[in-house]
Amino acid sequence: MRSMGMVKQSLPLLIACGLGGIVAGSTLSVMSEILQNIPGLIVVIPAIIALRGNISTAFGSRLGSAYHLGVIDAENMWNAELKQNILGSLVLSFLVSIMVGIIAYGTTVLFFKIYPDPFKLLSIVILAGIISAFILTFLTITIIFLVFKRGYDPDNITGPALATFGDIVTMFCIFGSAIIVEVVM
Amino acid sequence: MIYSWKKIVRYSLPLLTLCVFIEIFAGQLLNSRQDLLIALPIFLIAIPVINGIAGNIGSILGARLASGLHVGYINLDIKDGEMTENLLVSIVLGASTYAILAILIYYVALFGGIQMSIGLLEFTAIIMGAGFLLLCVICIVSVFTAFLSFKRGLDPDDMVAPVVTTVGDTLGISLLFLFIGVIGV
Repeated sequence: MRSMGMVKQSLPLLIACGLGGIVAGSTLSVMSEILQNIPGLIVVIPAIIALRGNISTAFGSRLGSAYHLGVIDAENMWNAELKQNILGSLVLSFLVSIMVGIIAYGTTVLFFKIYPDPFKLLSIVILAGIISAFILTFLTITIIFLVFKRGYDPDNITGPALATFGDIVTMFCIFGSAIIVEVVM
Repeated sequence: MIYSWKKIVRYSLPLLTLCVFIEIFAGQLLNSRQDLLIALPIFLIAIPVINGIAGNIGSILGARLASGLHVGYINLDIKDGEMTENLLVSIVLGASTYAILAILIYYVALFGGIQMSIGLLEFTAIIMGAGFLLLCVICIVSVFTAFLSFKRGLDPDDMVAPVVTTVGDTLGISLLFLFIGVIGV
């Protein structure tokens, strides 16, 4: 009956993630007017959120392994290894955001014969990708630093924490970027 | 030096590219029903929740199976008692979470003053229907991914999470539209 423990330990975490999802979803519903004004914007949303999740959880779990390997710790955190990891995450976010923008534009034209403004769409995706990358990288480093100081295992904490905050931060970033681009262009 | 940003980018890019294509497909599904989503924004709130819970349940189940397989209290057998128990508990746990969150989303939307032409019972039925079917598929996918990767000498811990979150995103959106159609809004 090991699985009974699962209910007790997982249900609070699941409800917490669900609440995070409600905040992210409410942001999306507030955006409904801007979604109508910028065709193609709704297409990029699942992709940006999924990528943000993948890139930052991978970053978090690499830092967890680096901790177990003894490469970084609370006293020696801001070193060359960490900087390479940060640079890697940021470069990935930039490249993949461009990819998302181009594929979203291409498929929208192909399937729906709708022609979104390619520059607008690409600027929103890149801006949202880069801003959320900076925020979540900083957040991950902060979480990792606190976890190190307390002597917990980072592998148990960073995954669920990033899953809950990542979606909300990313959704805000997409919303914010869409407003900025709409005002500027 | 263990990490280099070039290596991080080179190793991550192939999987992320695959992920972008699948997630853009999910985005195009949203795009095809954008009018419905804008007319009934309560479903925009529900989308991150439906996808998030299924992804979490699938990942928790996968991680539990991985530990069981590594330690040896779960055997590579489709009829393994411990595995089927975990599978059933996951589905029940997920369905209960969906029920709680569906009611919560409904009242968040109601108090948020969002356009509502749908009753609590209809909304809960749609979320529960789509959620339950999604859970069944995700949990079976999780078992197969864990078993197959373990059989081939790969670590199920690395494989299950990306597979179930990507499958969950596309399937979750499709099933939501299916049940909106079946129950009728």
